[in-house]
Amino acid sequence: MLLLQLLVNGLQTGALYALTAAGFSLIFGTTRVFHLAHGSAFVIAAYVFYSLAARAGAHWSLALLGAAAAAVLFGVLLDRVVYAPIRRHEGSFFTLFIASLGSAIVVQNVVGIAFGRSVVTVSTPLSRSAEVLPGVFVAPLAGVAIGCALVCFWLLQHFLGTTQRGVALRALAENAQLVRAYGLHPARLSTLAFALGSLLVVPAAALTVATSGANPAMGNHVMLISLAATIVGGVGSLRGAACAGLLLGMAENLALWRLEPQWSEAVTFVVLLGFILVRPTGFFGRAHAH
Amino acid sequence: MLAYLINLGVLVGINAVLAVTLNFVMGYAGIYSIAHAVFFGVGAYTAAFVALHLSASLFVTLPLAMLLAAAVSVALALPALRVRGEYFVAASLGLQVIAVTVFSEWKSVTGGIGGVTGIPPAELFGRAVAAPAHFLVLTLACLGAVIAATTLLLRSAFGRSLQALRDSESAAQAAGKNVAAIKTLAVAVSASLAAVAGVLYAHYIAFVNVESFTLDTSVLLMAMVIIGGTGTLLGPLVGALLLMLLPSLFSFMSFLPPTEISAVQQIAYGATMVLLMIFRPGGLVGGNARARS
Repeated sequence: MLLLQLLVNGLQTGALYALTAAGFSLIFGTTRVFHLAHGSAFVIAAYVFYSLAARAGAHWSLALLGAAAAAVLFGVLLDRVVYAPIRRHEGSFFTLFIASLGSAIVVQNVVGIAFGRSVVTVSTPLSRSAEVLPGVFVAPLAGVAIGCALVCFWLLQHFLGTTQRGVALRALAENAQLVRAYGLHPARLSTLAFALGSLLVVPAAALTVATSGANPAMGNHVMLISLAATIVGGVGSLRGAACAGLLLGMAENLALWRLEPQWSEAVTFVVLLGFILVRPTGFFGRAHAH
Repeated sequence: MLAYLINLGVLVGINAVLAVTLNFVMGYAGIYSIAHAVFFGVGAYTAAFVALHLSASLFVTLPLAMLLAAAVSVALALPALRVRGEYFVAASLGLQVIAVTVFSEWKSVTGGIGGVTGIPPAELFGRAVAAPAHFLVLTLACLGAVIAATTLLLRSAFGRSLQALRDSESAAQAAGKNVAAIKTLAVAVSASLAAVAGVLYAHYIAFVNVESFTLDTSVLLMAMVIIGGTGTLLGPLVGALLLMLLPSLFSFMSFLPPTEISAVQQIAYGATMVLLMIFRPGGLVGGNARARS
């Protein structure tokens, strides 16, 4: 029964990881910015959702809208104000990476000062677990999480596969110069990638606040998981990032079956290191790691 | 006041050793590691364990800590040989997370979250270096030795190969350089010299726990190198000095609530990193030269 319970928990965690990882993968795959501040977008969305839903008493849909606006604004601002000037000077990957890391540190501490460092939660009627099988507890939010992930992926796939802007985004990932030659604007497309990628963390952030709660330091964990999933899944492959996110969520929970909870993060990174050493292109990757 | 300055001096010295050794791989070998605190930790835990169970003599603790750190550095060298750029950053992050888990869970050696207490002071020729002023001299001597060792290495043929590797790996290989050996050696040298800082720290504070060797420490060390200037001789020293003075500077500002000082300090260095990357990627010392990748 424990195994079944862990499997269900793993599915729920994995669905949320898949969403945040897909956002990171979209941003990294198209713009090549190693966006460590992706976790900050998550924290910002989580805290806006919390302050609107729990403090201001707004309806959850309104709170969700506010959180989405905040996350997108953060992603777009970071792209325009921080990354764009660095890219204009042909800054190396490392320069972008440090700028991103610095932004993540600033956000974590500003949120920490504004809201305190303890865990915040929003309790909803859906958070309460019910015993569906003897010894197996499932909260309705687990279903919501999985449903949300499926809907988001379907929408994203649709957007990238059929709309003109979606196709342009995929083209940007392949060859930025060619995109420019076709009269499109790589800078605008990159902003679009940041907006979309940051939007993808919103459902995960809101659901995390409603289930286990969020704290300012959580951005680190989200960022680590997202980049691990992106690499394990293969850079440039959203499907890969999603599958890897699911896999990491499952691995983290199934590890509890045999190991103590403190080891769960290490398990994730043993998987990551294994992939980097044995198959750096991940399971669906085509890009070369060298 | 004097005691305060001496304490600050020792801590600046220890961090300067770490920053200089990190700069060795980051600035000259192009290996961007966010796992430098791991080697600091390996050095500190080794010194603690050896000093408690075997001997507190620096002639025993230092070589053992350096050897062990060099051995652990293989875990960093392996991914460095396989991948570059973002992938390596991710791998070193992974190593950092795994190491923190091991530090806090391997209770028989590291004492778990509680850490190791009661580490005896360092001994040199049978005499304990216990007085803070003496320890400051010892720290500065070690810092001098580390700077001398890295500078000499960089001026040697090995150093030239290293920089050739950073600028173009394929060209270096085509010129007949053994890329794998050079990278592995560079990482091992940097790790074992970082372990020196760990040994000093363990003896000085007489207490080590996992808090000092987390991702935050690695990021802080990276910030020292970046803010000072990657790939310069003075850069890491300036960076270490600045970032170690920052907390004391903020603690003099009485309008800040004491509980928020560390957060304000982190915001300051985070923002500095962002602004430097936009306007002066070479760091404070690096001048206007663009950071080379």
